[in-house]
Amino acid sequence: MIQANKLVKAYNGTVVLNVPELKIEKGESFGLVGNNGAGKTTFFRLILDLIQANKGEVLSQGNDVKNTVVWKSYTGSYLDEGFLIEFLTPEEYFNFVASVNHLSKGDIQKFMEDFKDFFDGEIIGKGKYIRDFSRGNKQKVGIAASLMTNPEVLILDEPFASLDPSTQIRLKNLLKKLKEEKNMTMLISSHDLSHVTEVCERIVVLDKGNVIHDIKTQEDTLKELESYFAV
Amino acid sequence: MFIRLLSHQWKEKTRSNFWQKSVIINIVIGFFMLIMFSYLILLGLFVDELIKEIRPESDPFVVFSGAMLYYLCIDLFVRFMLYSLPKINIESYLHLPIKKYKIINFVLTKSVTNVFNVLPLLVFIPFTLKIIVPGYSSLVGLTWFVIMFIMVINNSFLLHYLKRRFVDKPIIAGVFAAVIILLMILDKFNIIGLSAYSSLILVYMVNNPITILIPLALLILVYYINYMYLKSKMTVEDINVKKQKKVDSLSRIKYLDSLGELGEMLMLELKLIWRNKRSRSIIMMTPLFLLYGLLFYTNEDMSNPVMLIFVGIFMTGGIMLNYGQYMFGWESSYFDGILANNIDYQKHFRAKYVVIVAMVVLSYVLTIPYAYFGLNILLINTATFLFNLGFLSFTLMYFAVYSKTRIDMTKSSAFNMQGMGASNWIMIIPFFILPILIYLPFNLLGIPNVGVAVIGSIGLVSLILHKSLMKFVIRRFEKRKYIMAKGFRES
Repeated sequence: MIQANKLVKAYNGTVVLNVPELKIEKGESFGLVGNNGAGKTTFFRLILDLIQANKGEVLSQGNDVKNTVVWKSYTGSYLDEGFLIEFLTPEEYFNFVASVNHLSKGDIQKFMEDFKDFFDGEIIGKGKYIRDFSRGNKQKVGIAASLMTNPEVLILDEPFASLDPSTQIRLKNLLKKLKEEKNMTMLISSHDLSHVTEVCERIVVLDKGNVIHDIKTQEDTLKELESYFAV
Repeated sequence: MFIRLLSHQWKEKTRSNFWQKSVIINIVIGFFMLIMFSYLILLGLFVDELIKEIRPESDPFVVFSGAMLYYLCIDLFVRFMLYSLPKINIESYLHLPIKKYKIINFVLTKSVTNVFNVLPLLVFIPFTLKIIVPGYSSLVGLTWFVIMFIMVINNSFLLHYLKRRFVDKPIIAGVFAAVIILLMILDKFNIIGLSAYSSLILVYMVNNPITILIPLALLILVYYINYMYLKSKMTVEDINVKKQKKVDSLSRIKYLDSLGELGEMLMLELKLIWRNKRSRSIIMMTPLFLLYGLLFYTNEDMSNPVMLIFVGIFMTGGIMLNYGQYMFGWESSYFDGILANNIDYQKHFRAKYVVIVAMVVLSYVLTIPYAYFGLNILLINTATFLFNLGFLSFTLMYFAVYSKTRIDMTKSSAFNMQGMGASNWIMIIPFFILPILIYLPFNLLGIPNVGVAVIGSIGLVSLILHKSLMKFVIRRFEKRKYIMAKGFRES
């Protein structure tokens, strides 16, 4: 589904990401962990064609993301607040995302219905612009918007950070359900090892831009990761 | 403690992004500021000549003093409109064991150092030295200056209080301005002569220096009011004044819905402009450009054809220039979202182009009445209108693709050059110089009307080719988007 070939990204001569080869299969739930500066966000930005690689390429369904835009129609993503149009209300923002993806009014209705629990009464009908929401609630808006189109590929950068505990659990359940029912391919980065091992069947550990572990999640994966990150 | 707070403020200023620009831009900005400053100093030096020109038999000092009451009122109004209260990162101090009164005194004292308090001094000091001191005495000069200085500071504090109290009610400022204008008109027709009182009071005061105590007492009073008000509101949410936010009703405009995706994007542009302070304040100021014509058309000396072309470009394209040059900079906070979302760049650009067309057409329609000053003017404005609509619109878009500085949309646009890059300066060349360059040779050949026609035709041809021009700009954009996005991410 997604494939990185000889991917290198450097800033001012310092290599921040170096991935010779990485393949993510369709329907795989892929977790990315690593300390600050490990290159997680850089990797996601490369997949979304937000930055240019110095070398190598990212293929989405076999097409280079640089040269095509087809992937945009089946990829949902939320990396940070830079994705939100903060002077809109959440409703307006959802309508905008729906419109550029050619969703119908009925689709929006259904989406609002589906995400009612996830929003927990905090988002819809508040009469506020997104910029006036708290960080956690902004995050809810962004994550929900990334799922509006029922994408085949979902890319979330640290989705659990700044969410309240209930929403974290709801998000985990939601992600598991999406994987089971829709066979959604998911790329999720996180600082929280327990969340990511719970949701993802494959974990990749990045350190200073290099892939140093690539493991199938098992019983003892969490322990393994914890011991790796222990100081 | 005071010193330490001051040093923090100093660091905040010197480390601000404002200076993190290329040397050339800083020099250019410095140059413009220098020009502005020297104008004010020249005004202070030669205002007496001006007054003698208008009223030869009067004493410039008395006349100038007569204007001071109005000056102070206008100053208050201008401050209310342009000056944004210093946002003090009081959060970082409130939780520390610092006495509240120290913080309040610091906040208030610091506000004295703003530019609105410095600019009038540039006029007052030369005026005092050149006109009052030689004409009267040093004591009179000193007294006058001290009184005026205290009154300016007074205004500064008064504004702080008013702005915190009435931030939700700009209508009050409007009424205030209307009253001042009314009083000035009444003054002009000698119905109510406030200026006479103004000069009477000031002349009396400079002759009795002890009366300085009156403005001084006023100053202490205003300071005290401010102090008490701040003290009662000394919490984080109160001190950083925010307007009561309410969602506006732009969403209820259903007409655009019928345009589908394009309509949705147009709506986004409108909301972008309307709901952010930076963009809204600049767009709201631009109708003033339309009055430019009055200045030129009524003045024989200034209505030579080259000037008329310039005025035409400016009036029909000024609003577009202000929107167009920042069209991507204003989006900087959600630019990643634009790129990652399934947004059709064609439509995104179309929406922006439609906004430009609407602005230019509206400006043109509003300048049509200037035909009263001659059909020639209508002709020139029509040609420049076409030039703006067809040619300069795409030139602007092309240059806008070169912007790469994040723009803070929460600040007012007045005196705000944050986010201005080299491309904004380069844009001025095609905008104002190119049409004149096209026109000049024809003018020299004695066929000026052909020159006007050529300007119009270039616009018309570009308009016909707009699809290809759009494609060209979008291709450029697709190459530049990584650089733009990188710049926009850096706050």
